[in-house]
Amino acid sequence: MVTHENGGGHGHHQAPTGFIRKYVFSIDHKVIGIQYLCLALFSVFVGMALSALMRLHLGWPNAHWSIFKGGLMTPEQYLALMTMHGTIMVFMVLTTAPQSGFGNYFLPIQIGAADMAFPVLNMLSFWTTMVSLLVMIAAFFVAGGAPIGGWTSYPPLSALGEMAGPGQGAGETLWIIGLAIFCGASLMGALNFITTLIDLRVKGMTLGRLPLTCWTWFVTAILGLLAFGVLLAACILLLLDRIAGTSFFIPGGLVITDQVITWHKGGSPLLWQHLFWFFGHPEVYIAILPGMGVASHLLSTFSRKPVFGYRAMVGAICGIGFLGFCVWGHHMFISGMSPYSAFAFSILTMTIGVPSAIKTFNWLGTLWGGKITFNCAMLFALGFVSLFVSGGLSGLFLAQPALDLYLHDGYFVVAHFHLIMGVAAIFGMFAGLYFWFPKMFGRFLNEGIGKLHFWLTFIGVYAIFMPMHFLGLAGHPRRYFDTTAVDFLQKLQPVHVFISIAAFITIGAQLIFLFNFFYSLFAGKECKEENPWHATTLEWSIPSPPPFDNFAGVEPVVYHGPYEFSVPGAADDYIPQHLAPNLVKKA
Amino acid sequence: MHDVKTDAALDSAWSGGASPFAMGSKKLGMWLFIVSDTLTFSALLITYSYSRLTNPDWPKPFPMNPAIIFSTTMTVVLLASSLTMVMAVMAAQRNDRKSTVLWMIATMAGGLTFMGLHLREWFHLFEEGATITHNPWGTPQFGAVFFGITGMHMTHVLIGVIYLGIVATGYGRGKFSAEDVEVNGLYWHFVDLVWMFVFPLIYLMSVKY
Amino acid sequence: MSTEAHAAEAPHGASVGTNLAIWIGLVAITGLEVFLAYEELQPTLMLSILVGLSLVKAAMIMSYFMHLKFEKFSLVLWLIPAIIFCICMMLIFFFPEAFRLLQMRPHGG
Repeated sequence: MVTHENGGGHGHHQAPTGFIRKYVFSIDHKVIGIQYLCLALFSVFVGMALSALMRLHLGWPNAHWSIFKGGLMTPEQYLALMTMHGTIMVFMVLTTAPQSGFGNYFLPIQIGAADMAFPVLNMLSFWTTMVSLLVMIAAFFVAGGAPIGGWTSYPPLSALGEMAGPGQGAGETLWIIGLAIFCGASLMGALNFITTLIDLRVKGMTLGRLPLTCWTWFVTAILGLLAFGVLLAACILLLLDRIAGTSFFIPGGLVITDQVITWHKGGSPLLWQHLFWFFGHPEVYIAILPGMGVASHLLSTFSRKPVFGYRAMVGAICGIGFLGFCVWGHHMFISGMSPYSAFAFSILTMTIGVPSAIKTFNWLGTLWGGKITFNCAMLFALGFVSLFVSGGLSGLFLAQPALDLYLHDGYFVVAHFHLIMGVAAIFGMFAGLYFWFPKMFGRFLNEGIGKLHFWLTFIGVYAIFMPMHFLGLAGHPRRYFDTTAVDFLQKLQPVHVFISIAAFITIGAQLIFLFNFFYSLFAGKECKEENPWHATTLEWSIPSPPPFDNFAGVEPVVYHGPYEFSVPGAADDYIPQHLAPNLVKKA
Repeated sequence: MHDVKTDAALDSAWSGGASPFAMGSKKLGMWLFIVSDTLTFSALLITYSYSRLTNPDWPKPFPMNPAIIFSTTMTVVLLASSLTMVMAVMAAQRNDRKSTVLWMIATMAGGLTFMGLHLREWFHLFEEGATITHNPWGTPQFGAVFFGITGMHMTHVLIGVIYLGIVATGYGRGKFSAEDVEVNGLYWHFVDLVWMFVFPLIYLMSVKY
Repeated sequence: MSTEAHAAEAPHGASVGTNLAIWIGLVAITGLEVFLAYEELQPTLMLSILVGLSLVKAAMIMSYFMHLKFEKFSLVLWLIPAIIFCICMMLIFFFPEAFRLLQMRPHGG
């Protein structure tokens, strides 16, 4: 039998001493996890600043602001802001923080391993992500500025270069290169996660005893492994179109700003849409699945009840992952699609409602009759459930091709994906942060400030995105710069003003969070216990913060399922996973 | 309802404490990489069929002699390098360091020969006026697909040769284990496997009669 | 350490003779493919046969050269269906659009 000696198993490495080895090029999964979280924290504030500028323009389109040259934003600037907001948020926040950040830190600990299977690959993966972020941000500073093609970067306009718009020159090229590098980083991360979970589970940690967080990180890694390979191919082809002059995605006979394109012909923009969305839809689940895991974990812990229907939850996680590869066409209903394909994609998309409903009802079942503690972590987990439901239901509307023809490329879609993919996933991350902060840094986040943060954010995001549904139903197209030129849009302007004000308040609330984060990091209430929440999983059996090799060389043995709360006859209302069976009934 | 599993239940392959596939983590990692890279190449080949289907003037420029005979030779060279890699892995499993390194050098030689022949063919096509954007025979998509996919494959061969060089040196000095050689072999065979699809689809489907 | 022991305990994989036979088989199938190309078959038939033969070759390489035949069967179940599923999804859903485009631009413009 090959045991843990391979790769980064137990008893393999010693704690490094130098600063660079310890904090910069560290191979410790915990440090890398925190590095990823810092990268995401930086990126989320960049992304939020970009969205604030957009809201400034949308709320008051004719007002003059001294931050813009001549006081007014140009349409190109608006599109560049939109593109970079989407890209940075999707790739650098929603993909990195829940999976590579929290997953890196807690997956090995929760399965009882000393590190990831490939610690050096883990480090490479982080620094590759960093390079990718820098390359993308560099797009702001090159001639022409950042790309204006949206985060989906649809050809032919994204493939033609500078003539398609100022940001479509060097900026777009950097954007694609950054994305291709990100594909590489994600592949490294994904295969590391899968190998770790399969090989490094400690004795007794059967698949049926994995915490649901581990299940979601595992399925997310599988999605990443299968999806990013296809995106890599698409990026290479788009780069060839731009740099080498090929026409994979460019049809013949195009006219761009009065110029007839004669040197490109024979390609198909639809092919890019297929390749991109074959990646893009699993990407949505890459963002949301870890949040589901954290929510399930926390709802159980803070209502002191086992997760309702653990097996059904696991099945639903796998089902959502599987269906994620069957539904990409619903992003392309109006791109011109065979009605038979559209019908199949529509049915498959609505099928996702089944595992989603299983999860939602099981969350409610977990809460039912529980002794609920309303601390910040729990509030954010409940907020996640709320946002998941309200964001998910509009997905059923959009899954109908007939209805989608009207709603697509409007604000309804913006509202839908922001609620479910953006804000819900971010609530999952906040929940995880409030929950794990004492384990990671040995101090608690401040609860009072945290509750203020929660309520402002929770009400704020609904105030932002609920009205957007109505904008969409009223026919407001998305990605429009000039909302004043069209009559029927002018009547919707007060809604924009409302959304903008709500957005600024919500962004302000994040500054409260930032203050809480740094204040608690240095002056928060100390957490001296190993298990302040009386939780069951393995990370709560080791000191806070954990030592370099997690379990100090002692491999734990797992005897229990992950959510054994309020077990009749047990001494406490929780049974840690590693508690020997003869110690359970000591009372 | 906590079920203390019996020891027998914990002895199953998936009960933790050991690899359920009874193989090293590096090998599993390489297999996962191969899964992902398979999909990258699949997407490229599907792009090829998509382009070919939508462009009826797809050229068939390769005469049996010399183009197909030449590319068949390349195929056999690459296959031969796979066989030497098999021999290297078997030697490594016997702990025979010297012959392992020799077989790996033979594999590298095979890879380099393949690349040399391939580049010769590329330059021959350049002389005939075929580039990634133009060709004298039909739709420009042909050059894009041909040079795009074979270029991507050649990049993999190049990476494979460098990888072989690193592992051979390290294994010769006792820094790497037999498992590392085997993992390297997996990658090399995968590069060969991809060519088993590229060769018939790109060359044999475009024979000039 | 464990790897060396592992290799010494269970030197799994086929013998030199088997591997050589597999290699000869691969070269023979390649020869058959080239012969078929020489015979100028009808394109659809040709494509079907070539893809079929390539799949056989891939299976031979994976089973013997890449040792998949000698690993636990559960590994095969973890790796192969995922690849096949993804490729099938792409093949099924990408191509209706390609056929439609074919009809929309008869001159390949």
